[in-house]
Amino acid sequence: MEVTTAIPWWVWPIALAAVGFLIGVVAVLAGIGGGVLFVPIVGSFFPFHLDFVRGAGLLFALAGTLAAGPQLLRSGMASLRLVMPLGLAGSICSVAGAIVGLGMNADLLQGLLGALVIAIAVVIWRARSAEGGLVDPDALARLLKLEGKFTDPAAGTRIDWRTHRTLGGFAAFGAIGFLGGVFGLGAGFANVPALNLLMAAPLKVAVGSSALIISIINSSAAWVYIHRGAVLPLLVVPAILGVMLGSRLGARLLERVPAHLVRWLVIVVMLAAGMRALLRGTGLWI
Amino acid sequence: MDLTQATYARWLDVATRAGFAISLLAFLVYVSGLVEPFVPLEQLPQLWTLPAARFVQVTGEPTGWGWLGMLGYADFLNLAAVALFGVVTLVCYARIVPLLFAEGERLQACIALAQVLVLAAAAAGFFTGGR
Repeated sequence: MEVTTAIPWWVWPIALAAVGFLIGVVAVLAGIGGGVLFVPIVGSFFPFHLDFVRGAGLLFALAGTLAAGPQLLRSGMASLRLVMPLGLAGSICSVAGAIVGLGMNADLLQGLLGALVIAIAVVIWRARSAEGGLVDPDALARLLKLEGKFTDPAAGTRIDWRTHRTLGGFAAFGAIGFLGGVFGLGAGFANVPALNLLMAAPLKVAVGSSALIISIINSSAAWVYIHRGAVLPLLVVPAILGVMLGSRLGARLLERVPAHLVRWLVIVVMLAAGMRALLRGTGLWI
Repeated sequence: MDLTQATYARWLDVATRAGFAISLLAFLVYVSGLVEPFVPLEQLPQLWTLPAARFVQVTGEPTGWGWLGMLGYADFLNLAAVALFGVVTLVCYARIVPLLFAEGERLQACIALAQVLVLAAAAAGFFTGGR
């Protein structure tokens, strides 16, 4: 505490912008949401209380996904029809999660965050994808018309897709929204498998729709943090600006950098940040 | 639905760009010292290690919508700018509700309307005792 308070205030926004920039580069290259890196890294290695880190993390993920949304919708990679019912379930639960999170003991929260981040690293390591396509939709999916067409310019193919296991999807997005609210995470790591592996949306539609769902879920949870005084603009704005610039560089590097190396880098960083949070939460390494 | 999706994308684009521009401008005003903040920047390193509830108690900052009356301070001006990101989705959904009804997509329209209500309730502080 004494060391950190001896450092002038202006060093921290610059450091946050730098971290945001690096997260932006890596997140694009690894194909994950940046929010899942922001909270464990900043929460473990910066002096801010976890309340402010989670408030900033929600807005960090929100700003990034809002910025990506228009292009994803225009290209057909995000389906508003698919996003709307799942986003509604997620946003209701995210409010509950945010309220629960702000009422929890910081050490317990830090320890749980560490365990969750380590689990997410394992999920990213083990993640597989399914092609999706023409599954037999259930009655609810038919009622909600959870289907669409997507043209993949890279493969030069047009995919007609439908989804199934709609109730399971609602439950998954309710749980994802709750965890996102508690920990201030964007939850692309969980959205994509839920949409792709569980509901059988094509992978690219799952990735695109996931970003839009994060923007909806985080919008409602962010208000809880704002109303409780857990948002410090001095932390939020530099991180957002950093990630915006980093994402642009990441998109340019996408064709040159081997994706599997970046994926391993993300896993190692998440394991390190997760271990640090776990040790900090349990009081073994303050 | 294609028209709805295109409209949502257009409104999202404009609202997000406006949010970024306003946030950047407000942040420059904040850190440049042009407008005085409620909590001096030099004091923040001693305060941001506190839980949010304690931070609010020590600084005397308002919670809920109380900050709307503090926009004369640079930090609250900046908070208002950041809070715009929380309004973008609400605005986009509110725009597509009439379009969905006009297209005869009643179920989707009701879902969008429910989302508007959830976001509006969250923004109003209905779930958190905002005022």
